[in-house]
Amino acid sequence: MAGAGGGNDIQWCFSQVKGAVDDDVAEADIISTVEFNHSGELLATGDKGGRVVIFQQEQENKIQSHSRGEYNVYSTFQSHEPEFDYLKSLEIEEKINKIRWLPQKNAAQFLLSTNDKTIKLWKISERDKRPEGYNLKEEDGRYRDPTTVTTLRVPVFRPMDLMVEASPRRIFANAHTYHINSISINNIVDIKPANMEELTEVITAAEFHPNSCNTFVYSSSKGTIRLCDMRASALCDRHSKLFEEPEDPSNRSFFSEIISSISDVKFSHSGRYMMTRDYLSVKIWDLNMENRPVETYQVHEYLRSKLCSLYENDCIFDKFECCWNGSDSVVMTGSYNNFFRMFDRNTKRDITLEASRENNKPRTVLKPRKVCASGKRKKDEISVDSLDFNKKILHTAWHPKENIIAVATTNNLYIFQDKVN
Amino acid sequence: MEFKLEAHRIVSISLGKIYNSRVQRGGIKLHKNLLVSLVLRSARQVYLSDPCPGLYLAGPAGTPAPPPQQQPGEPAAGPPAGWGEPPPPAAHASWPETEPQPERSSVSDAPRVGDEVPVATVTGVGDVFQGGEADATEAAWSRVEGPRQAAAREAEGTAGGWGVFPEVSRAARRPCGCPLGGEDPPGTPAATPGAACCCAPRPAEDEPPAPPAVCPRKRCAAGVGGGPAGCPAPGSTPLKKPRRNLEQPPSGGEDDDAEEMETGNVANLISIFGSSFSGLLRKSPGGGREEEEGEESGPEAAEPGQICCDKPVLRDMNPWSTAIVAF
Repeated sequence: MAGAGGGNDIQWCFSQVKGAVDDDVAEADIISTVEFNHSGELLATGDKGGRVVIFQQEQENKIQSHSRGEYNVYSTFQSHEPEFDYLKSLEIEEKINKIRWLPQKNAAQFLLSTNDKTIKLWKISERDKRPEGYNLKEEDGRYRDPTTVTTLRVPVFRPMDLMVEASPRRIFANAHTYHINSISINNIVDIKPANMEELTEVITAAEFHPNSCNTFVYSSSKGTIRLCDMRASALCDRHSKLFEEPEDPSNRSFFSEIISSISDVKFSHSGRYMMTRDYLSVKIWDLNMENRPVETYQVHEYLRSKLCSLYENDCIFDKFECCWNGSDSVVMTGSYNNFFRMFDRNTKRDITLEASRENNKPRTVLKPRKVCASGKRKKDEISVDSLDFNKKILHTAWHPKENIIAVATTNNLYIFQDKVN
Repeated sequence: MEFKLEAHRIVSISLGKIYNSRVQRGGIKLHKNLLVSLVLRSARQVYLSDPCPGLYLAGPAGTPAPPPQQQPGEPAAGPPAGWGEPPPPAAHASWPETEPQPERSSVSDAPRVGDEVPVATVTGVGDVFQGGEADATEAAWSRVEGPRQAAAREAEGTAGGWGVFPEVSRAARRPCGCPLGGEDPPGTPAATPGAACCCAPRPAEDEPPAPPAVCPRKRCAAGVGGGPAGCPAPGSTPLKKPRRNLEQPPSGGEDDDAEEMETGNVANLISIFGSSFSGLLRKSPGGGREEEEGEESGPEAAEPGQICCDKPVLRDMNPWSTAIVAF
């Protein structure tokens, strides 16, 4: 059953990897977002080159018991192009910051994709039939000379190879002056002070409540989360709730503000909890308790003593995402050295796994990894100093119903499943 | 002392980041630069609050201290100041970033804002740094020039209403290369824009890091984008040396900064940033965040009050802190 058991009870196996094998990563291929749709059948990725690639899970393999369906490319399209704002002399990156699927209402799929400035609504539809037998057109589209038409026929639909078309349906351009960090279906959140001189924090992520369409949260660079209710007023400048944990003074450093900046916020599927990710930890908040999180999980506490180096090499600004499993019992987030971590909320156990091409065979069980923070390094442990900080997992996604996860390294997408016997 | 060194290093790194951010694709990232500016502020506070005798006063009282020549490498006399102690307000005040007055007036600024620190202390600092850290700080300064230019450009670019000041002037170095305080009377912060240097005042900077200095009159007349919004009469200040931002007191401080570069006085820049941030905090509309921050680290809260006690000063600092925000 999806989500049953903890991160440790499940044995995670390699399933697939997508993307180029080279070590030389083309910048445009860097994956910048990963998102399952609501059924889990489709998996969308966005990259720095402005492209969206959608994978579809094969259905037929579900009959076989040894593995779930593979994900294969379903559609690829160029969502955003680089733009140049001539007025401000600014180049606008085409990197896809976020993709959100809309709930499916008809045969077509809709998703929102955004770069820094423009949000686009895409319709992805299938075409597997085409009309043939026009009277005035040849099959290749050329118009016929009407004088040569001697008989009339009714065009008919004939099957054709499946074609998946993506067409932009809406373009929300220049939604606001500053970069779009986050989108959530219903609206876009952007609150800035009237006077920019007073800017002391920015919104870093936002999400609508899964069940109450009037409620949303947004996180800030100062480590606070505000819950707003649109029923209270049209402009949500005043929050209904403010979630904040007091800072631990013993941990104060030059970089305290940076590491408390929240990089991602996600509601649980139940809507009762929300999860926030800051640089070193994942926190679970009960929406009914504002003064502190109910659970805190340290992702890579061994980095706390390395903050200065991480500041120098800009790693401290990395924005890690986090995600819930379908039953809200396990949460997952990424780290460095292509490691990703899962925390089981029930058993309080955690596991570290690695996305690497070394475990390339399907159904190879992933071996748990361990980082040695200090002292004597045991066999199979990795010392902090040998971690590769260029290999980071920022984007992860969990299938809404099954134990299938998609983990993005720099330019590869790994899909893992739990071992099914 | 090691905290001071680390703070210094972090300031240099941060300035480098701000400088580099202007050439990154996609424009300056507001969030990242906001975080970098917060680190700068923290580093500045530690740097200034570290009770190294002779560099700045220890403690908020600001008892005057003689400026012994102390190399940055010397260990601090006391424990690291930590986070709570406010930097001596007079240290900030002594830099004429507050009002557009003739160069010598900066001397009078110091007593006005906080009398404890004899300006000589500041100049002494400059001398100290000139020798020891010229290289490192040269690098830091060259990075400083960039961000300011970027700030002005980006401030203009991203929010038309922001006060943009012609930061290119910032990059100007003291062309005569006079050591700080050189032949000036000890009470004069040599960094005063517009001279305070016995050398012949030059109409234009002859150092390349920034575009050549242009007479402010010309800049405003030309309506150059880099000019501050609402460029007041540039000729208002009777300075021989062209001041690019005569109407902007902080720029004075920055020019000071620029001119201090050769002496490698990082402390100048830090004070300027510090005052600006204090200005930021002060201008915040009683936002809960700022108040809380003040309370979190107690003495910090006192800092804005101590430094920026002069309302006109705050108003005049507006465009500068705007530029800081632009970072």
